[in-house]
Amino acid sequence: MIEIKNIMKKYGNGPIAVNDVTETMSKRVTTLIGRNGAGKTTLLRMLSTQLMPTSGTAVINGHDIIKEPHKVRNSIVSIPQEASPIGILTPYEQVRMYLIGRRFSLSDASLAARQALETVGLESSMHSPSDTLSGGMKRKMFVAIALASNAEIVFLDEPTTGLDPLSRLEVWSAIKKLDGNILLTTHYMEEAENLSDEVFLQDAGKIIESGTVKKLLKRFSGKIRVESQSPLDGSTMLGGMHILYDIVENAEKHVKNGANVKKITLDDLFIMRGVDLEY
Amino acid sequence: MNIRFIFTFAWYYGVKIFSRGPSYVIASLTTPLSLLFIVYVLTQGKLVEFAVVGGMISLIGSIGLQSAGDATFMKLQLRVQEMYVASAVTPIDYMLALTMSFLTFSIPGIVVYTVLGTIFGLYNTVTALSMVFLIVMLTLSTSAIAFIISGLVKHVRNVWGIVGILSIIMTVIPPTFYPYTDLQNFSTSLIYILFISPVTPAAISAQIIFGLEPWNMAILTYSLLTLVAETVIYFAIAKYLIRWREN
Ligand SMILES: Nc1ncnc2c1ncn2[C@@H]1O[C@H](COP(=O)(O)OP(=O)(O)OP(=O)(O)O)[C@@H](O)[C@H]1O
Ligand SMILES: [Mg+2]
Repeated sequence: MIEIKNIMKKYGNGPIAVNDVTETMSKRVTTLIGRNGAGKTTLLRMLSTQLMPTSGTAVINGHDIIKEPHKVRNSIVSIPQEASPIGILTPYEQVRMYLIGRRFSLSDASLAARQALETVGLESSMHSPSDTLSGGMKRKMFVAIALASNAEIVFLDEPTTGLDPLSRLEVWSAIKKLDGNILLTTHYMEEAENLSDEVFLQDAGKIIESGTVKKLLKRFSGKIRVESQSPLDGSTMLGGMHILYDIVENAEKHVKNGANVKKITLDDLFIMRGVDLEY
Repeated sequence: MNIRFIFTFAWYYGVKIFSRGPSYVIASLTTPLSLLFIVYVLTQGKLVEFAVVGGMISLIGSIGLQSAGDATFMKLQLRVQEMYVASAVTPIDYMLALTMSFLTFSIPGIVVYTVLGTIFGLYNTVTALSMVFLIVMLTLSTSAIAFIISGLVKHVRNVWGIVGILSIIMTVIPPTFYPYTDLQNFSTSLIYILFISPVTPAAISAQIIFGLEPWNMAILTYSLLTLVAETVIYFAIAKYLIRWREN
């Protein structure tokens, strides 16, 4: 359980990256979505005691991140968005080394490292220098670290970026099997829909919406998204397309006119913000 | 302290890395060995014993300082440090783990200089034990300086320049390859400035202990105490500056 209290981060003279967020995250899988620069990584880094908040705090499983970082650290694992492996070491060595840092015994660390690497599909390359792995395989090594850690709270900053569709499915099923509570960020809305018990939408540092996927998409019920090369009645130009939200009943008509008709997904939470939409 | 982690880390990041790419370690041997050669030629062998003892000190010091490059790279580029921040690993565990790895990088150099020292008949029980002590203290203190640098540097690229400059100032200019009394005659105030580098007290102690310079209890005591004090102080500063939790 993560209780965030008025947390704020301003980088030096830079922007306010996280702006007065107060939320409780208690579900098993919580997903943070938001555009590039919305402040997701900044929020995650503060929660995982890597970055000092400018003001405010958070309590993780009863421990304050500012006053009791040691207690928090014992119960979390955090995979940075931009982590890279030590190229000359193998995935097995790095996962094992990390687990021993978490006070696993030598033999438990070996076992857990091997199992986690197999789970993410690195069985055949776990003993090759990480330099020789593909981008997605490197990412999987870090997911394996999160899996093997067996922590109460797992922070995953874009765990599946760069993974092929099948690997992504494998990682999803691994995430679902984790015991702890998970807070992850993603730019894949399908992933958020598939995994999350609760979704938080962050924009310009603030959490502007939260709830289950169903709740967030409720406003679109009975609607479709129409994308067309040419202007439609009441459409808005966005990303080089003319976009219109219309009722399902009109779908056939739009298709006949050569427009694309799309089912509503979490993508629409973003798209609709660029569209002057009444709902 | 998580000893198991410190040794596992050193095993992988020190021994394994060395066995997979020894060029880094061999490169760190080149400067002290070429200085040894120059000292030998210029003084026609007279100061070669200074260079054999001082070469060991200089090598350990410069490997320790060069570790700033690794520490910075792991922190800013690989984000390895950040992952360890959010875990049970403490900054001291992490620093000692890296320091132990760097100590293993020094092993080939230690072997070369031990062989040279033995050829010149410099080693007996007392000098050997003293050398072990000096190596440990120097590794700890110069790695601490390396962590201070890694805590202050904002871009990986800057670290190489800083390390290059510091490495010369802190390991070549101090009396590693020449008698410290020559420095005393040259400028006393320079000695005090050079004492900022733990290499200076280590080199002076070695010259006295190895009998290369006349016995001087006062200077020896002062040097050894300074070396120990600097190790503690640099480690304390490093623990603060390593920015375990970024601001
Ligand atoms: N170390 C830093 N120093 C200064 N500003 C930073 C730093 N890190 C992030 N920022 C700024 O803070 C804001 C939020 O960045 P953050 O990385 O948290 O976004 P994000 O939501 O994770 O984006 P993305 O989806 O691209 O990963 C951005 O404006 C960014 O420029
Ligand atoms: Mg991010």
